[in-house]
Amino acid sequence: MSSSSPLPSNPVYDAIRTRRVTRAMSPEPVDPDLVAAVLESARWAPNAGNRRLQPVLPISDPVTLRLLRAISPGMVPRPPAALVICVDAARAEEFGFPPRYRGLYVDVGTTAATLLLAAQSVGLGACPVTSFSRSAAARILGLRNGLSAEMIVCLGHPADTQPATLSALPSGEVSPPGS
Amino acid sequence: MTTTSGNPALSQESALEVLAFLVTAARTQTEEAAEYAPMRLLMGARALAQGMAPYVGDNPSLRALVDEVAALEPVRTPTRDREAYLSSLDALCERVADTLLAQEGRA
Repeated sequence: MSSSSPLPSNPVYDAIRTRRVTRAMSPEPVDPDLVAAVLESARWAPNAGNRRLQPVLPISDPVTLRLLRAISPGMVPRPPAALVICVDAARAEEFGFPPRYRGLYVDVGTTAATLLLAAQSVGLGACPVTSFSRSAAARILGLRNGLSAEMIVCLGHPADTQPATLSALPSGEVSPPGS
Repeated sequence: MTTTSGNPALSQESALEVLAFLVTAARTQTEEAAEYAPMRLLMGARALAQGMAPYVGDNPSLRALVDEVAALEPVRTPTRDREAYLSSLDALCERVADTLLAQEGRA
């Protein structure tokens, strides 16, 4: 499709095009069924070899959420719920992957993209966070050895006012000039 | 934390929140874009200002500064409009200086 072609209009494409990061969330609790629905979507995320080495942990305990935010410089919202995408390096080793094999982290991204769209589809705001201390998160979440938190997807109802956002690239430009 | 007059300036909970932010940001910044460094520092200042806000009282210059910093945009970076970004930071630094002078009775 050339850059001058009209964009398609269908529920999937519209969800992709209208999804935004929610950086301000209301304190309103999130229906656990909605969180479960978003979590369930991770089962269908694209995943290399369908090995599922990226377990997703649902977090709804207010204290745990507050502590996670405290050790996450990149977590702008105060979410009433979150999903933590982990990498199971111990199981990856059993499959013969070398340490820190990059494909494991690509699948963190595909899982995150799926969760973000699922949140959009059930009317929840979502905010992905990678700027947090992995070692502190492991302590707060009580992760076993070999399991590392790699992304936190905050979930909540969008507040009425959102902080300024970075604008999308111009139509037809999928990568910055010179890349 | 208390002021020199013995009045509280920050709750222990807020102070710990700022401490945690600064320590963990030092770690995360080693793997983040350099443009995030000023943003993280301002986010730390914002968290500090939000914690100070309930204790500022009726000191007008301090109140104005704390309210302004507490309301800073959390995701602004210097890359996309560097000149405007630097100008706004310079102006904020001037207001910080003015507040420091006022606290010393030299306004």
